[in-house]
Amino acid sequence: MENIEYLFAGFAVFWAGLFIYLVLLQARIRNLTREIERLEERLAESEDTPARPAAPSTPPREHTPAERREAAEQGA
Amino acid sequence: MNLSSLVGTVLARADQWRWTVMPPLVGVAMMAMIVGALVAAPREIVQGEVQRLMYIHVPSAVIMYAAFFVTAFSSVMLLWKRDMRWDAIARASATVGVFLCAMVLLSGAIWGKPTWGVYWSWDARLTSTLILFLIYTAYLLARSVAGPLDEQAARYAAVFAIIGVVDIPIIQMSVRWWRTLHPQPTVFTPDPALPNEMLLVLLIGFVAVFALAAWLIMLQSDTERASQRVTALRAEVDHREMA
Repeated sequence: MENIEYLFAGFAVFWAGLFIYLVLLQARIRNLTREIERLEERLAESEDTPARPAAPSTPPREHTPAERREAAEQGA
Repeated sequence: MNLSSLVGTVLARADQWRWTVMPPLVGVAMMAMIVGALVAAPREIVQGEVQRLMYIHVPSAVIMYAAFFVTAFSSVMLLWKRDMRWDAIARASATVGVFLCAMVLLSGAIWGKPTWGVYWSWDARLTSTLILFLIYTAYLLARSVAGPLDEQAARYAAVFAIIGVVDIPIIQMSVRWWRTLHPQPTVFTPDPALPNEMLLVLLIGFVAVFALAAWLIMLQSDTERASQRVTALRAEVDHREMA
């Protein structure tokens, strides 16, 4: 049974490599499936939500007394 | 029926089999290969027990070539048809090819220590196989840096993958062109220099590793397509939410 430790090491490396590959692949498939479900839900929500009115970029400013006088004069 | 629709039909059928037919098929074939290699095959007189690594090393090497040929073929189809499904297949088979290449290099190094006295030597076949591993690792790295739906990156990577496959005939012919530690071909010759019992176990090894690689390519290609879908969905969600 000479060199049997090398035979064992060779097969062990192959099976360990295959196991790690399958675990990583399975984790990736699971994450991608979850991500697809999450994005499809978000897409469905955005389709159900009615379009919002465009928000003003800055709040309306209060007019100064001079501006109010000017507006009143123009109205007169 | 044109080639694209034929490939589509085959992929659809394979898609149905990937969780039903393939896992038990691969499991039984791999078990048969292990039993054949460790129990049924005769012991080689000169090298001893370690020679049984041949039943996993040689099939992995040949199926690795096949995986990289699938990558090159899919890359040609991508450049021709401009269909990103071919990119998913190319990436999937390159990933499986790189995995098998790593297994070939590692099992070869372990086999080399008791046989040649060293784990590694800059021999022509070992070096050209390492170059093949680096070429397709670089291909996968380049594709992973760009997005899964980046068509320009996919086309550049496809050209790289097609050029990379030229290394395979160099690996195969290296034992004839240069003086190397590897033996001259003993299996793929008109008169194989192995007894029939060994050839039978080796054939089982080929079937097992082929089934394993086909299954892994199916799963990996499924993953690559899912990754493309995630990218497309993200873009659509962003577009909707910006509007």
